[in-house]
Amino acid sequence: MPENLVTINKPPITASERKVSRLLLFFEDIIKVPLFRCQHCGECILSSTAFICSQNCPKRIRNGPCGGTREDGSCEVFPERKCVWYRIYFRSKLLNRISLLYKIKKIHNWDLEHTSAWLNVFKKRIEAPIWFVRNDKQKVKDIIHNDVETKD
Amino acid sequence: MTLKQKIESDQFIICGEIGPPTSCDGNVIREKSKYFKDYVDAVNITDNQRAIVRLSSIASAKILIDEGVEPIMQITCRDRNRLAIQSDLLGAAALDIRNVLCLTGDYHTFGDHPETKGVFDLDSVQLVATVAKMNSGFFLSGLEMKKAPQFLIGAAANPFAEPFEMRLIRLHKKINAGAHFIQTQPVFDLEIFTRWMERVVEMGLHKKAAILAGVMPVRSAKTLLLMKERVPGIKINDEYINRMKYAHDSKEEGVKMAVEIIQTLKNMNGVRGIHLMPMLWESITPTIIREAKLNKTN
Repeated sequence: MPENLVTINKPPITASERKVSRLLLFFEDIIKVPLFRCQHCGECILSSTAFICSQNCPKRIRNGPCGGTREDGSCEVFPERKCVWYRIYFRSKLLNRISLLYKIKKIHNWDLEHTSAWLNVFKKRIEAPIWFVRNDKQKVKDIIHNDVETKD
Repeated sequence: MTLKQKIESDQFIICGEIGPPTSCDGNVIREKSKYFKDYVDAVNITDNQRAIVRLSSIASAKILIDEGVEPIMQITCRDRNRLAIQSDLLGAAALDIRNVLCLTGDYHTFGDHPETKGVFDLDSVQLVATVAKMNSGFFLSGLEMKKAPQFLIGAAANPFAEPFEMRLIRLHKKINAGAHFIQTQPVFDLEIFTRWMERVVEMGLHKKAAILAGVMPVRSAKTLLLMKERVPGIKINDEYINRMKYAHDSKEEGVKMAVEIIQTLKNMNGVRGIHLMPMLWESITPTIIREAKLNKTN
Protein backbone atom coordinates (compact mmCIF):
# COMPACT_ATOMS: atom_id res chain seq x y z
CA MET A 1 0.00 0.00 0.00
CA PRO A 2 1.45 3.40 -0.92
CA GLU A 3 2.30 5.75 1.92
CA ASN A 4 0.27 8.72 0.76
CA LEU A 5 -2.77 7.48 -1.05
CA VAL A 6 -4.30 10.86 -1.77
CA THR A 7 -2.75 14.01 -3.24
CA ILE A 8 -3.32 16.43 -0.41
CA ASN A 9 -3.65 20.23 -0.48
CA LYS A 10 -0.25 21.00 0.82
CA PRO A 11 0.58 23.83 0.58
CA PRO A 12 -3.00 25.11 0.10
CA ILE A 13 -3.68 27.16 -3.03
CA THR A 14 -4.03 30.86 -2.24
CA ALA A 15 -6.21 33.26 -4.21
CA SER A 16 -3.22 35.06 -5.70
CA GLU A 17 -1.68 31.77 -6.71
CA ARG A 18 -4.83 30.84 -8.57
CA LYS A 19 -4.29 33.89 -10.76
CA VAL A 20 -0.73 32.82 -11.55
CA SER A 21 -2.00 29.34 -12.12
CA ARG A 22 -4.55 30.55 -14.65
CA LEU A 23 -1.88 32.43 -16.58
CA LEU A 24 0.44 29.44 -16.60
CA LEU A 25 -2.41 27.17 -17.64
CA PHE A 26 -2.85 29.32 -20.75
CA PHE A 27 0.67 28.46 -21.89
CA GLU A 28 0.41 24.88 -20.69
CA ASP A 29 -2.74 24.43 -22.77
CA ILE A 30 -1.02 25.60 -25.96
CA ILE A 31 1.30 22.61 -25.65
CA LYS A 32 -0.72 19.99 -23.83
CA VAL A 33 -4.14 20.27 -25.44
CA PRO A 34 -3.12 19.73 -29.07
CA LEU A 35 -0.45 17.17 -28.23
CA PHE A 36 -2.09 15.10 -25.50
CA ARG A 37 -5.75 16.20 -25.44
CA CYS A 38 -5.08 17.38 -21.86
CA GLN A 39 -8.13 17.31 -19.57
CA HIS A 40 -6.70 19.80 -17.04
CA CYS A 41 -6.70 17.51 -14.03
CA GLY A 42 -3.85 19.57 -12.59
CA GLU A 43 -2.16 16.42 -11.39
CA CYS A 44 -0.28 15.38 -14.49
CA ILE A 45 0.85 11.75 -14.73
CA LEU A 46 1.71 11.90 -18.45
CA SER A 47 5.31 10.85 -17.89
CA SER A 48 4.33 7.58 -16.23
CA THR A 49 1.67 6.77 -18.81
CA ALA A 50 4.03 6.99 -21.80
CA PHE A 51 2.80 10.49 -22.69
CA ILE A 52 -0.81 9.52 -23.37
CA CYS A 53 -3.34 11.34 -21.19
CA SER A 54 -5.12 8.70 -19.08
CA GLN A 55 -7.85 11.20 -18.23
CA ASN A 56 -9.38 10.73 -21.69
CA CYS A 57 -10.73 7.41 -20.38
CA PRO A 58 -14.53 7.73 -19.89
CA LYS A 59 -14.12 6.42 -16.34
CA ARG A 60 -11.07 8.66 -15.82
CA ILE A 61 -9.20 5.66 -14.43
CA ARG A 62 -5.73 6.50 -13.17
CA ASN A 63 -4.81 2.85 -12.62
CA GLY A 64 -6.20 1.29 -15.76
CA PRO A 65 -7.40 -0.46 -17.81
CA CYS A 66 -10.88 -1.56 -16.72
CA GLY A 67 -12.08 -5.03 -17.65
CA GLY A 68 -14.00 -3.94 -20.71
CA THR A 69 -11.34 -3.52 -23.38
CA ARG A 70 -12.60 -5.26 -26.52
CA GLU A 71 -10.68 -7.83 -28.51
CA ASP A 72 -9.46 -5.25 -31.04
CA GLY A 73 -8.42 -2.90 -28.22
CA SER A 74 -11.37 -0.52 -28.52
CA CYS A 75 -13.14 1.13 -25.59
CA GLU A 76 -16.26 -0.53 -24.16
CA VAL A 77 -18.08 2.80 -23.89
CA PHE A 78 -17.07 4.29 -27.25
CA PRO A 79 -16.28 1.37 -29.60
CA GLU A 80 -15.04 3.79 -32.26
CA ARG A 81 -12.07 4.81 -30.10
CA LYS A 82 -9.14 2.80 -28.89
CA CYS A 83 -8.98 2.14 -25.13
CA VAL A 84 -6.65 4.76 -23.66
CA TRP A 85 -4.92 2.20 -21.47
CA TYR A 86 -4.48 -0.17 -24.39
CA ARG A 87 -2.53 2.58 -26.15
CA ILE A 88 -0.62 3.39 -22.96
CA TYR A 89 0.54 -0.21 -22.64
CA PHE A 90 1.83 -0.52 -26.19
CA ARG A 91 3.46 2.92 -26.14
CA SER A 92 5.14 2.10 -22.80
CA LYS A 93 6.45 -1.11 -24.32
CA LEU A 94 7.79 0.77 -27.32
CA LEU A 95 9.48 3.43 -25.18
CA ASN A 96 10.70 0.93 -22.54
CA ARG A 97 8.70 2.52 -19.75
CA ILE A 98 6.75 -0.55 -18.52
CA SER A 99 8.21 -0.33 -15.00
CA LEU A 100 6.35 2.97 -14.48
CA LEU A 101 3.01 1.22 -15.00
CA TYR A 102 3.53 -0.89 -11.86
CA LYS A 103 3.30 2.14 -9.60
CA ILE A 104 -0.10 2.82 -7.98
CA LYS A 105 -1.22 6.32 -8.97
CA LYS A 106 -2.57 8.49 -6.18
CA ILE A 107 -6.24 9.36 -5.71
CA HIS A 108 -7.04 12.55 -7.59
CA ASN A 109 -7.35 15.80 -5.65
CA TRP A 110 -10.31 17.58 -7.23
CA ASP A 111 -9.20 20.92 -5.81
CA LEU A 112 -6.33 20.83 -8.30
CA GLU A 113 -8.75 20.46 -11.23
CA HIS A 114 -8.14 23.27 -13.79
CA THR A 115 -4.91 24.42 -12.17
CA SER A 116 -1.48 24.45 -13.75
CA ALA A 117 0.32 21.13 -13.27
CA TRP A 118 3.65 22.90 -13.83
CA LEU A 119 3.00 25.19 -10.91
CA ASN A 120 1.88 22.24 -8.81
CA VAL A 121 5.13 20.43 -9.54
CA PHE A 122 7.06 23.58 -8.63
CA LYS A 123 5.12 23.88 -5.37
CA LYS A 124 5.76 20.14 -4.69
CA ARG A 125 2.08 19.27 -4.48
CA ILE A 126 2.56 16.58 -7.10
CA GLU A 127 5.51 14.49 -8.19
CA ALA A 128 7.88 15.76 -10.84
CA PRO A 129 7.76 14.04 -14.25
CA ILE A 130 10.14 11.17 -14.93
CA TRP A 131 11.94 11.88 -18.20
CA PHE A 132 14.29 8.93 -18.57
CA VAL A 133 13.96 5.31 -17.54
CA ARG A 134 17.08 3.17 -17.62
CA ASN A 135 17.14 -0.63 -17.52
CA ASP A 136 13.39 -0.91 -17.72
CA LYS A 137 13.36 -4.72 -18.02
CA GLN A 138 15.61 -5.15 -14.99
CA LYS A 139 13.40 -2.77 -12.99
CA VAL A 140 10.28 -4.78 -13.84
CA LYS A 141 12.06 -7.94 -12.72
CA ASP A 142 13.11 -6.28 -9.47
CA ILE A 143 9.57 -5.10 -8.73
CA ILE A 144 8.14 -8.60 -9.20
CA HIS A 145 11.04 -10.38 -7.52
CA ASN A 146 11.15 -8.14 -4.44
CA ASP A 147 7.47 -8.66 -3.80
CA VAL A 148 7.84 -12.42 -3.83
CA GLU A 149 10.77 -12.22 -1.45
CA THR A 150 9.01 -10.05 1.12
CA LYS A 151 6.21 -12.62 1.34
CA ASP A 152 8.46 -15.64 1.85
CA MET B 1 -15.31 -20.99 9.88
CA THR B 2 -15.31 -17.63 8.14
CA LEU B 3 -14.13 -17.05 4.60
CA LYS B 4 -11.02 -15.37 5.98
CA GLN B 5 -10.06 -18.45 7.99
CA LYS B 6 -10.76 -20.68 5.00
CA ILE B 7 -8.50 -18.59 2.80
CA GLU B 8 -5.76 -18.67 5.43
CA SER B 9 -6.01 -22.45 5.67
CA ASP B 10 -5.54 -24.55 2.54
CA GLN B 11 -9.11 -25.37 1.62
CA PHE B 12 -10.67 -25.23 -1.80
CA ILE B 13 -13.04 -22.27 -1.76
CA ILE B 14 -16.42 -22.09 -3.49
CA CYS B 15 -18.18 -18.75 -3.92
CA GLY B 16 -21.63 -18.12 -5.34
CA GLU B 17 -23.33 -15.01 -6.62
CA ILE B 18 -26.77 -13.47 -6.17
CA GLY B 19 -28.06 -10.44 -8.04
CA PRO B 20 -30.49 -8.46 -5.85
CA PRO B 21 -33.97 -7.87 -7.31
CA THR B 22 -35.09 -4.68 -9.07
CA SER B 23 -37.70 -4.13 -6.37
CA CYS B 24 -37.87 -3.90 -2.58
CA ASP B 25 -38.83 -7.56 -2.23
CA GLY B 26 -36.22 -8.98 0.16
CA ASN B 27 -37.83 -12.42 -0.05
CA VAL B 28 -36.28 -12.90 -3.48
CA ILE B 29 -32.86 -12.95 -1.81
CA ARG B 30 -34.10 -15.21 0.99
CA GLU B 31 -35.44 -17.64 -1.62
CA LYS B 32 -32.23 -17.61 -3.67
CA SER B 33 -30.04 -18.00 -0.59
CA LYS B 34 -31.47 -21.50 -0.08
CA TYR B 35 -29.70 -22.71 -3.21
CA PHE B 36 -26.36 -21.61 -1.79
CA LYS B 37 -26.57 -22.08 1.97
CA ASP B 38 -25.28 -25.64 2.30
CA TYR B 39 -23.21 -25.68 -0.87
CA VAL B 40 -20.90 -22.66 -1.01
CA ASP B 41 -18.56 -20.86 1.42
CA ALA B 42 -19.66 -17.32 0.62
CA VAL B 43 -22.00 -15.53 -1.76
CA ASN B 44 -21.31 -12.37 -3.74
CA ILE B 45 -23.95 -9.66 -3.65
CA THR B 46 -23.73 -7.48 -6.73
CA ASP B 47 -23.87 -3.70 -6.46
CA ASN B 48 -26.26 -2.36 -9.13
CA GLN B 49 -24.74 -4.61 -11.76
CA ARG B 50 -24.84 -3.48 -15.39
CA ALA B 51 -25.72 -0.03 -13.93
CA ILE B 52 -29.35 -1.02 -13.29
CA VAL B 53 -31.02 0.12 -10.08
CA ARG B 54 -31.39 -2.78 -7.67
CA LEU B 55 -31.86 -3.42 -3.98
CA SER B 56 -28.75 -2.09 -2.27
CA SER B 57 -25.87 -4.46 -1.72
CA ILE B 58 -25.50 -3.62 1.97
CA ALA B 59 -29.15 -4.42 2.71
CA SER B 60 -28.99 -7.61 0.65
CA ALA B 61 -25.81 -8.70 2.41
CA LYS B 62 -27.52 -8.16 5.77
CA ILE B 63 -30.45 -10.33 4.66
CA LEU B 64 -27.97 -13.08 3.71
CA ILE B 65 -26.32 -12.89 7.14
CA ASP B 66 -29.74 -13.32 8.75
CA GLU B 67 -30.26 -16.39 6.57
CA GLY B 68 -26.97 -17.86 7.75
CA VAL B 69 -25.00 -17.31 4.54
CA GLU B 70 -21.71 -15.43 4.53
CA PRO B 71 -21.92 -12.52 2.07
CA ILE B 72 -19.22 -10.86 -0.04
CA MET B 73 -20.48 -7.33 -0.56
CA GLN B 74 -19.51 -5.80 -3.89
CA ILE B 75 -18.81 -2.09 -3.86
CA THR B 76 -18.31 0.01 -6.98
CA CYS B 77 -16.85 3.45 -7.61
CA ARG B 78 -19.51 4.38 -10.15
CA ASP B 79 -22.14 5.58 -7.71
CA ARG B 80 -20.19 6.93 -4.77
CA ASN B 81 -17.49 9.43 -4.01
CA ARG B 82 -14.87 8.79 -1.36
CA LEU B 83 -17.10 10.05 1.44
CA ALA B 84 -19.97 7.74 0.58
CA ILE B 85 -17.66 4.78 0.01
CA GLN B 86 -16.03 5.12 3.43
CA SER B 87 -19.36 5.73 5.11
CA ASP B 88 -20.91 2.66 3.44
CA LEU B 89 -17.91 0.58 4.47
CA LEU B 90 -18.31 1.66 8.09
CA GLY B 91 -22.00 0.78 7.88
CA ALA B 92 -21.19 -2.61 6.42
CA ALA B 93 -18.67 -3.33 9.16
CA ALA B 94 -21.23 -2.37 11.79
CA LEU B 95 -23.65 -4.90 10.28
CA ASP B 96 -21.00 -7.67 10.51
CA ILE B 97 -20.34 -7.78 6.79
CA ARG B 98 -16.74 -8.95 6.72
CA ASN B 99 -15.94 -9.35 3.03
CA VAL B 100 -15.94 -6.70 0.32
CA LEU B 101 -15.18 -6.98 -3.37
CA CYS B 102 -13.82 -3.73 -4.83
CA LEU B 103 -14.80 -2.88 -8.40
CA THR B 104 -14.66 0.17 -10.65
CA GLY B 105 -18.18 -0.55 -11.89
CA ASP B 106 -19.90 -0.87 -15.25
CA TYR B 107 -20.27 2.39 -17.14
CA HIS B 108 -23.65 4.05 -16.53
CA THR B 109 -24.62 4.41 -20.20
CA PHE B 110 -25.13 0.62 -20.34
CA GLY B 111 -27.80 0.76 -17.64
CA ASP B 112 -31.34 1.97 -17.14
CA HIS B 113 -30.35 5.54 -16.28
CA PRO B 114 -27.91 6.42 -19.06
CA GLU B 115 -28.44 10.15 -18.45
CA THR B 116 -26.85 10.07 -15.00
CA LYS B 117 -23.41 11.30 -13.97
CA GLY B 118 -20.93 8.54 -13.22
CA VAL B 119 -18.85 9.42 -10.20
CA PHE B 120 -15.61 7.43 -10.60
CA ASP B 121 -13.91 9.42 -7.85
CA LEU B 122 -11.61 6.44 -7.18
CA ASP B 123 -10.73 3.47 -9.35
CA SER B 124 -10.73 -0.13 -8.18
CA VAL B 125 -7.00 -0.21 -7.35
CA GLN B 126 -7.37 2.90 -5.22
CA LEU B 127 -10.53 1.46 -3.66
CA VAL B 128 -8.62 -1.66 -2.59
CA ALA B 129 -5.96 0.60 -1.05
CA THR B 130 -8.68 2.65 0.67
CA VAL B 131 -10.20 -0.41 2.34
CA ALA B 132 -6.71 -1.56 3.35
CA LYS B 133 -6.08 1.85 4.88
CA MET B 134 -9.37 1.69 6.78
CA ASN B 135 -8.39 -1.78 8.03
CA SER B 136 -5.27 -0.21 9.48
CA GLY B 137 -7.43 2.30 11.34
CA PHE B 138 -7.27 5.44 9.19
CA PHE B 139 -9.60 7.34 6.91
CA LEU B 140 -8.39 8.63 3.55
CA SER B 141 -8.14 12.06 5.17
CA GLY B 142 -5.48 10.67 7.50
CA LEU B 143 -7.71 10.91 10.57
CA GLU B 144 -7.66 7.95 12.89
CA MET B 145 -10.85 6.04 13.67
CA LYS B 146 -11.68 4.67 17.10
CA LYS B 147 -12.49 1.18 15.93
CA ALA B 148 -11.02 -0.18 12.71
CA PRO B 149 -13.04 -2.55 10.51
CA GLN B 150 -11.48 -5.89 9.64
CA PHE B 151 -12.48 -6.48 6.06
CA LEU B 152 -11.33 -9.32 3.89
CA ILE B 153 -10.56 -7.44 0.67
CA GLY B 154 -11.40 -8.86 -2.72
CA ALA B 155 -10.74 -7.58 -6.21
CA ALA B 156 -11.61 -8.68 -9.72
CA ALA B 157 -9.38 -9.66 -12.61
CA ASN B 158 -10.15 -10.22 -16.25
CA PRO B 159 -7.63 -12.57 -17.86
CA PHE B 160 -9.46 -12.46 -21.20
CA ALA B 161 -9.41 -8.77 -22.11
CA GLU B 162 -6.61 -7.18 -24.10
CA PRO B 163 -3.73 -6.40 -23.59
CA PHE B 164 -2.78 -9.63 -21.83
CA GLU B 165 0.38 -8.38 -20.09
CA MET B 166 -1.30 -5.19 -18.86
CA ARG B 167 -3.89 -7.36 -17.04
CA LEU B 168 -1.08 -8.91 -15.02
CA ILE B 169 0.38 -5.50 -14.20
CA ARG B 170 -3.00 -4.39 -12.91
CA LEU B 171 -3.44 -7.61 -10.93
CA HIS B 172 -0.02 -6.97 -9.39
CA LYS B 173 -1.16 -3.46 -8.44
CA LYS B 174 -4.37 -4.71 -6.84
CA ILE B 175 -2.58 -7.36 -4.79
CA ASN B 176 0.09 -4.86 -3.81
CA ALA B 177 -2.62 -2.43 -2.72
CA GLY B 178 -3.86 -5.06 -0.27
CA ALA B 179 -6.27 -7.48 -1.95
CA HIS B 180 -6.63 -10.81 -0.13
CA PHE B 181 -8.54 -12.66 -2.81
CA ILE B 182 -9.12 -12.26 -6.54
CA GLN B 183 -12.21 -13.33 -8.47
CA THR B 184 -11.89 -13.66 -12.23
CA GLN B 185 -14.35 -13.20 -15.05
CA PRO B 186 -16.08 -16.43 -16.15
CA VAL B 187 -13.74 -18.89 -17.85
CA PHE B 188 -14.95 -19.93 -21.30
CA ASP B 189 -11.51 -20.24 -22.81
CA LEU B 190 -9.28 -22.59 -20.88
CA GLU B 191 -6.28 -22.02 -23.11
CA ILE B 192 -6.02 -18.30 -22.32
CA PHE B 193 -6.79 -18.91 -18.66
CA THR B 194 -4.04 -21.52 -18.38
CA ARG B 195 -1.57 -19.10 -19.97
CA TRP B 196 -2.67 -16.34 -17.56
CA MET B 197 -2.44 -18.62 -14.54
CA GLU B 198 1.07 -19.71 -15.51
CA ARG B 199 2.16 -16.08 -15.57
CA VAL B 200 0.46 -15.43 -12.21
CA VAL B 201 2.36 -18.33 -10.64
CA GLU B 202 5.58 -17.16 -12.29
CA MET B 203 5.10 -13.71 -10.71
CA GLY B 204 4.37 -15.34 -7.36
CA LEU B 205 1.03 -13.56 -7.05
CA HIS B 206 -0.89 -16.73 -6.14
CA LYS B 207 0.98 -16.83 -2.83
CA LYS B 208 -0.07 -13.33 -1.86
CA ALA B 209 -3.77 -13.58 -2.74
CA ALA B 210 -6.20 -16.45 -3.28
CA ILE B 211 -7.16 -16.72 -6.95
CA LEU B 212 -10.78 -17.80 -7.43
CA ALA B 213 -11.62 -18.66 -11.02
CA GLY B 214 -15.01 -17.64 -12.37
CA VAL B 215 -17.38 -20.31 -13.69
CA MET B 216 -20.70 -19.49 -15.31
CA PRO B 217 -23.21 -22.23 -16.07
CA VAL B 218 -25.37 -21.31 -19.06
CA ARG B 219 -28.73 -22.60 -20.18
CA SER B 220 -28.55 -22.15 -23.93
CA ALA B 221 -26.34 -21.30 -26.87
CA LYS B 222 -28.28 -18.05 -27.21
CA THR B 223 -26.99 -16.81 -23.84
CA LEU B 224 -23.42 -17.53 -24.91
CA LEU B 225 -23.86 -15.76 -28.23
CA LEU B 226 -25.45 -12.75 -26.55
CA MET B 227 -22.58 -12.57 -24.07
CA LYS B 228 -20.01 -12.80 -26.82
CA GLU B 229 -21.73 -9.99 -28.67
CA ARG B 230 -22.76 -7.67 -25.86
CA VAL B 231 -20.31 -8.11 -22.99
CA PRO B 232 -16.97 -6.48 -23.83
CA GLY B 233 -13.84 -8.16 -22.53
CA ILE B 234 -15.19 -11.71 -22.45
CA LYS B 235 -13.78 -14.41 -24.69
CA ILE B 236 -15.85 -17.49 -25.46
CA ASN B 237 -14.35 -20.47 -27.22
CA ASP B 238 -16.43 -21.46 -30.26
CA GLU B 239 -16.23 -25.06 -29.15
CA TYR B 240 -18.56 -24.30 -26.23
CA ILE B 241 -21.03 -22.44 -28.42
CA ASN B 242 -21.18 -25.33 -30.89
CA ARG B 243 -21.58 -27.85 -28.11
CA MET B 244 -24.53 -25.92 -26.71
CA LYS B 245 -26.06 -25.38 -30.14
CA TYR B 246 -26.09 -29.06 -31.13
CA ALA B 247 -26.79 -30.48 -27.69
CA HIS B 248 -29.84 -32.72 -27.28
CA ASP B 249 -30.71 -31.09 -23.95
CA SER B 250 -28.98 -27.73 -23.69
CA LYS B 251 -29.56 -27.36 -19.94
CA GLU B 252 -27.96 -30.71 -19.25
CA GLU B 253 -25.08 -29.83 -21.56
CA GLY B 254 -24.65 -26.52 -19.72
CA VAL B 255 -24.25 -28.33 -16.40
CA LYS B 256 -21.85 -30.82 -17.98
CA MET B 257 -19.74 -28.00 -19.39
CA ALA B 258 -19.58 -26.16 -16.08
CA VAL B 259 -18.58 -29.35 -14.25
CA GLU B 260 -15.86 -30.04 -16.81
CA ILE B 261 -14.46 -26.53 -16.47
CA ILE B 262 -14.53 -26.77 -12.66
CA GLN B 263 -12.63 -30.06 -12.71
CA THR B 264 -9.93 -28.66 -14.99
CA LEU B 265 -9.61 -25.54 -12.81
CA LYS B 266 -9.45 -27.57 -9.63
CA ASN B 267 -6.30 -29.33 -10.79
CA MET B 268 -4.64 -26.17 -12.07
CA ASN B 269 -1.59 -24.92 -10.19
CA GLY B 270 -2.33 -21.72 -8.26
CA VAL B 271 -6.14 -21.83 -8.40
CA ARG B 272 -7.44 -21.67 -4.84
CA GLY B 273 -11.12 -21.94 -5.54
CA ILE B 274 -13.97 -21.17 -7.88
CA HIS B 275 -16.50 -18.38 -8.11
CA LEU B 276 -19.78 -19.74 -9.44
CA MET B 277 -22.03 -17.15 -11.08
CA PRO B 278 -25.25 -18.70 -12.29
CA MET B 279 -26.91 -15.56 -13.61
CA LEU B 280 -30.72 -15.97 -13.30
CA TRP B 281 -30.20 -19.72 -12.84
CA GLU B 282 -29.36 -19.93 -9.13
CA SER B 283 -31.37 -23.14 -8.69
CA ILE B 284 -28.71 -25.13 -10.59
CA THR B 285 -25.98 -24.52 -7.97
CA PRO B 286 -26.61 -27.64 -5.81
CA THR B 287 -26.57 -29.89 -8.91
CA ILE B 288 -23.28 -28.48 -10.16
CA ILE B 289 -21.58 -28.66 -6.76
CA ARG B 290 -22.75 -32.26 -6.37
CA GLU B 291 -21.70 -33.35 -9.85
CA ALA B 292 -18.30 -31.66 -9.56
CA LYS B 293 -17.82 -33.57 -6.29
CA LEU B 294 -17.08 -30.44 -4.30
CA ASN B 295 -17.80 -30.05 -0.63
CA LYS B 296 -18.40 -26.97 1.44
CA THR B 297 -16.07 -26.89 4.45
CA ASN B 298 -17.61 -25.95 7.75
